Amino acid sequence: MRVTNMVPDIEYSMQQSQQALATAEMQVATGLRVNRPSDDPAAAANDTVSLAASANVDQFTSNVDALLPQLQTADSAISQVTSALNTAITLGTQGANGSITAAQRSSIATEVAGALTTVIAQANASYSGVYLFGGSASSTPPFVAASSTYNSVNGSAAHPLSASTALTAGSVTTISDAQTGDTFTFTAKAGDTIGALQTALATAVSAGTLTAGTTATINSSGHLSIATNSSTAGIVVSSNDAVLGSMSAASGTAVANTYAYVGNSTVNTAQVGDTLTVATNVAGNNLFTTGSNVIGALTGLISALQNNETSVQIGAATTAVSTALSSIGQQRVPLDNSISEMNSQESYLGQETVTLTTQQDNLVGANMAVAATNLAQAQTQNQAVLAVAAKVMPQTLLNYLSQPSA
Amino acid sequence: MASLTSALSIAMQALQAADGGLQVTNNNISNANTPGYTRQQVVLQETTPADNGDFVAGEGVTFVGYQSVRDELVMAQIQSQTSAQSGANASLASLQQIQPTFTTSTTDIGTEMSALFSSLSSLATDPTSSASRQAVLTAGQNLATAFNTASSTLTSQQATLNTQVSQDVTQINQLTQQIAALNPEIVEQNANNTVENGGALQDQQNQLIQQLSALTNVAITQTNNGVTISTGNGTALVVGPQSFALQTSAGSNGAEAVLDSNGNDITKTLTSGDLGGTIQTRDQAIGGLLTQLNTLANQFANAFNSVQASGYDQNGKPGQNFFTIPSAVSGSAAGIQMNITDPALLAASSDGTAGSDGNLANFAAVQKNALPSGQTPADAYSSIVYQVGSLTANANAESSGTTASLTQLNDQLNSVSGVSIDEESANLITYQNAYEAAARVISTIQALMTATMSMDTPG
Repeated sequence: MRVTNMVPDIEYSMQQSQQALATAEMQVATGLRVNRPSDDPAAAANDTVSLAASANVDQFTSNVDALLPQLQTADSAISQVTSALNTAITLGTQGANGSITAAQRSSIATEVAGALTTVIAQANASYSGVYLFGGSASSTPPFVAASSTYNSVNGSAAHPLSASTALTAGSVTTISDAQTGDTFTFTAKAGDTIGALQTALATAVSAGTLTAGTTATINSSGHLSIATNSSTAGIVVSSNDAVLGSMSAASGTAVANTYAYVGNSTVNTAQVGDTLTVATNVAGNNLFTTGSNVIGALTGLISALQNNETSVQIGAATTAVSTALSSIGQQRVPLDNSISEMNSQESYLGQETVTLTTQQDNLVGANMAVAATNLAQAQTQNQAVLAVAAKVMPQTLLNYLSQPSA
Repeated sequence: MASLTSALSIAMQALQAADGGLQVTNNNISNANTPGYTRQQVVLQETTPADNGDFVAGEGVTFVGYQSVRDELVMAQIQSQTSAQSGANASLASLQQIQPTFTTSTTDIGTEMSALFSSLSSLATDPTSSASRQAVLTAGQNLATAFNTASSTLTSQQATLNTQVSQDVTQINQLTQQIAALNPEIVEQNANNTVENGGALQDQQNQLIQQLSALTNVAITQTNNGVTISTGNGTALVVGPQSFALQTSAGSNGAEAVLDSNGNDITKTLTSGDLGGTIQTRDQAIGGLLTQLNTLANQFANAFNSVQASGYDQNGKPGQNFFTIPSAVSGSAAGIQMNITDPALLAASSDGTAGSDGNLANFAAVQKNALPSGQTPADAYSSIVYQVGSLTANANAESSGTTASLTQLNDQLNSVSGVSIDEESANLITYQNAYEAAARVISTIQALMTATMSMDTPG
């Protein structure tokens, strides 16, 4: 073959060799074999999926980190409740002793009331502003001291509210009953009046949601008055109805040692693994009222002691506290399980992160030994190409012809 | 018997032949680096000898002319490879600009999508936290922006390619005009000079055809009226002295269509050359990516909106749309926006209480469940990334492949038609020597003639 001009071939070789050098340099500099999707389309595509999985794992780890202290706080609150209950049982056993005086029982009752205060404080425990035992109503304390009577702010003797007074559609009025442990919720529909609220309340009384004797009447000052006639249990009423102008406890009607649960039974969950979710709160009614009846048992014991009841009656009240203690022990099991699940999940997520990082490295990472060898080879080849160019390009017949003749 | 005069005539012819050789060598050296130049060689012929009866005496050399040394087959292969290379380069240049948008970074769609799901998962640990709620809205906004950016990268690339279509068509029309104008001149020249093989005019026309091949795929046939050129589907561009101009016309979607001189749409038949590559990239590659991107944006936004609607915001009201999205799929990636801006409006609650996070699990499910397209959002995005990578890698492979093959073909053509400076230098010496020798013969004959003349004048 006739070779006329070597420049285009040399240029092409230089181009190729410089490209190989640039690629090798890029791989060594970034540590990545795939820097753009076109470097390996399938690997780049799989990498995006793997990165999404990594982002999830990172978030699950953060969730565990955020939730663990919260659940541990809840668990330690329950521990303190347990120890308060143990104290109350010891005190109750002392109080049941037939040889002690009424004055001594009264003083024991005060000590048991102290234990109740501890239990309420723990039941209203919060972590970073989140009340742990209120269900999803986590922004206000879930256990509120109960009163026997709540009056509406609006209404007056001159302009009394009446059964025919219309309520605001969509407004919510709730009555939390300390005795039943239940909450009655009335959501006003369009056209509903105070009369409708009264009817609904009466239905709730017959259904047992509210203690018998709970009523809603218009008092002599023209206010709506929601009251219970029980001397041992009270209620907590709240309303966002503009017509009622909210409800507030009538002064002097507080029922000693009674607390109503104003939270709900919703349990929130958070994801800490692809298929693993854990409960992030415990509904307080299960732990302290309807479920274990911790508060009711303590209130019962206090009242038995204060009333200087018989040893048998005080003994029965103490047994109720013991039952509450063993019940709360069972109720905390799911919480303890969540904590231990999260602990093991944390180490699993740590391994998962390593697995995914390895996967990503295999997909798009450069094998540094290979990359460094490629770079060295590319450099050598580039030098060779340049050396050849330097040797070949000035080579023409004219060089020889133009040499001075001797 | 041969005479001194006939010897002088033979020497004169030898001088002319050497002169012609020098002329060709000179021209070859001058054009050694001229693009499209085909080397010429001198055509010499032995002069028909005179029969003297007793013997046949040589009558010297006849200088016939110059001839361009061509290889039509390799030329045709180069033209076709040039078309393929330009098409691949047009695609590659455009796709390389799109690629960064779909490369994993801190702001690509895949990363922003993960960030949105992470922010929702984080909110589950504290559903009333307004900082966490705001983080979800910010992540949603970032994802919408990532979709908008990707869409605008694709559409602005389409717009650039659209301009390129018009420019290419203008250039094609100029070239076909010039090629057609050369046809009659070449026909006439070939009729007058059978030896020359087209010469400089043919070089010029070949060079123009080469430029035309870089713009679009063409079929070339040689006829008695010169070259005939048509596009891939047979639409005539040049016939004899006449050229047929292509036109462009903007379609309803704004894309420029290419029409032949009769007004027929030939856009889809243009498959290679810069014009073909540009059209294919604009309509198929980027068009396909846009469809995928719009589908993902639309289905993702609708999935989020229906989860919002199934939950309650912090005011206990059913959730409003999370994203604003056009009802038509096309334009979804460009049009996706956040609908809610108040963190309280995020519908995390499943029961209407402000502290519930029951609906967040439904948001998380969007990540795992298949969209109506049949793929999860992450898989749908990874398909787009694969598509971008694969299109770019293919264009790159085609570009390198055709470059290598063109280098080879050019070597082949140059081995026939290229000028070798070394060869010409050697030829220069050869013709110089020949000229000097012929001149010596003339001076010898002159001396002999002088001697012959002076025989009558005794000294």
